[in-house]
Amino acid sequence: MSITADLPSNSIRRDDGGARRRRITRKSVSLFILLTFSVIYVGPILMLVFASFKSLPEFFKDPTWLPDNLEWSNYSEAWSLANFPGYMLNSVLYTVVATFLFVTMSVFVAFPIARGYVKGSKALLTLYVVALFLPPALIPQFQLILNVGGWPIIGDFISNVWFEGSEAQGLFNTRTGYILLFLMNPIGLIILVNYIKSIPRELDESAAVDGCGYGRFVFTILMPLIRPAIATVTVIHAIGIWNELILATIYLTDENTYPITRGLIVFEGVYGSDWPKLAAAVLMLMVPMLALYMFLQRYIISGLTSGAIKG
Amino acid sequence: MANQYLFGGGRRRVLPWLFLLPGLGFYLVMGVGPSLFTTVYSLTDATGLRGLPISWVGFDNYYEFLLEGARSRDNLDALWRTLKFMVLVTVIQFGVGLLMAILVNQKLRGHLVFRTIFFIPVILGAVVQGLMWKLFLRPGGGPMDTLYGWLGLESQFLSGTNAFYWVVLVQIWANAGFTMVVFLAGMQTIPAELFEAAAVDGARGWSLFKNITWPQLTPAVNTNFLLNIIGSLQAWMLFLVLTGYKNGTQVLGYLVYAEGFGKQGTGSFRQGYAAAASVVLFLLVLVLGMTANFVTTRRERKYLS
Repeated sequence: MSITADLPSNSIRRDDGGARRRRITRKSVSLFILLTFSVIYVGPILMLVFASFKSLPEFFKDPTWLPDNLEWSNYSEAWSLANFPGYMLNSVLYTVVATFLFVTMSVFVAFPIARGYVKGSKALLTLYVVALFLPPALIPQFQLILNVGGWPIIGDFISNVWFEGSEAQGLFNTRTGYILLFLMNPIGLIILVNYIKSIPRELDESAAVDGCGYGRFVFTILMPLIRPAIATVTVIHAIGIWNELILATIYLTDENTYPITRGLIVFEGVYGSDWPKLAAAVLMLMVPMLALYMFLQRYIISGLTSGAIKG
Repeated sequence: MANQYLFGGGRRRVLPWLFLLPGLGFYLVMGVGPSLFTTVYSLTDATGLRGLPISWVGFDNYYEFLLEGARSRDNLDALWRTLKFMVLVTVIQFGVGLLMAILVNQKLRGHLVFRTIFFIPVILGAVVQGLMWKLFLRPGGGPMDTLYGWLGLESQFLSGTNAFYWVVLVQIWANAGFTMVVFLAGMQTIPAELFEAAAVDGARGWSLFKNITWPQLTPAVNTNFLLNIIGSLQAWMLFLVLTGYKNGTQVLGYLVYAEGFGKQGTGSFRQGYAAAASVVLFLLVLVLGMTANFVTTRRERKYLS
């Protein structure tokens, strides 16, 4: 590379004592800055933990520092005051079902695009890339979900077959409608396409020669091979659904269908001044995602960046 | 032919399309389609109520949004504030993320712990991020308040006049970890020989960074630049959790939501009007995104030819 040639070619310094001292200074300065950042990053989380163990009077006296004794009752009370078990169950349901459906469908979109097995695969990929720039789909999406129940054929199917005998008029304010909102994720698809491109084509050839069909190839050979990418996309998508608040606020008006984010905001509205309980509730929302992150950190970070840089 | 289909001919040739359709279908119907239809709705008087007739109003929504009366002045303020938010967040987050990446990349003791810590907010989502900082910025004995007290300062934080800047801070706190990780990924692709060769030539510290790391980091720099611009223009969730919809902190994304869905006490379900606002936001993203893309592509050609 030509870059090194541009550098001033001083003679190599042999002043080892100075170099060592400089290295140590640099290390301590680095460590100091890193620790300062860490305080800002861990501080709010720690304070949340502290607050969740205080009694209300103690919190008002001193919201910041360590609790005098551990008030576990905040957790049990927060859990039972609002319908948190129900919210949690809804969140799990939405996240698991939508993520499973999305990832399965996406592999079947990404594979032929990556291989060029369908006409116009380049254009299809572009269709996913431009999504980054497009205006938010919020309003037409809402009109669609709101009104689809009144449409011929598809509306009849939704009201009479899918929701047979229930009160639902179309998809608005239903769990099904809410899940349908999460069956796409352009970034996830781009990550899958990029990863599949790194799987050699010879594999397709030899499998095809052995008489393996298309569907069976994807399910039994391709999917195990692209497990890292699938893990990444699964985690990214799941986190997005778990943390979603706006769509839950727009589409779900029945309290029984709230996911935990929405439930938490409602809880804040009612118990906003009771920070110990609110803090306990926030921590209960955080823990599942935090645990998932700790286990799958490798996939989350590598996947997000590979998708970002190549996409 | 390079991309010849291998899994049988004839009728079986349609299998890829058949399997592809559900995924693509949902994307078109729920994603791209609605995105594009936003422009159509912006020319109507659509509401958020079922069964009301919708009629064409031409560019009335745009006229009202940008040019008519006191409300439009508020809207222009929000537009200006969105730009200010974008500039502050992009620049600071870029710098902080780069600094974090450089420090973590030195592989000091515990560098993986630092990386983990800085990335945690990214996975928490706006609700948790926001509630956490609401507590942290609590007036009356909260940590930041205590710190201000020690320094002899006073602030109302999120209910004060500088609320906007506190949201900027939280936004950066929440996303700098992502910027860092993109930089780290870029740094890992720089061949170690480059550093060794430069070190032999006597380059150290700043000149090493300027002549090797920075130019070699071009793809990551460009990605972060673009993502930060687009991301900060479209971000508004933290405003919702931290400050609510009130004068002095509206940004365009929040305005779209508040006007279109009657939240935060606006009582408005004017979805046509809100769609017009989101088209304005889209044009902003498009113009600034394209400009950024143009600048970075030129940079890339300069450094990586």
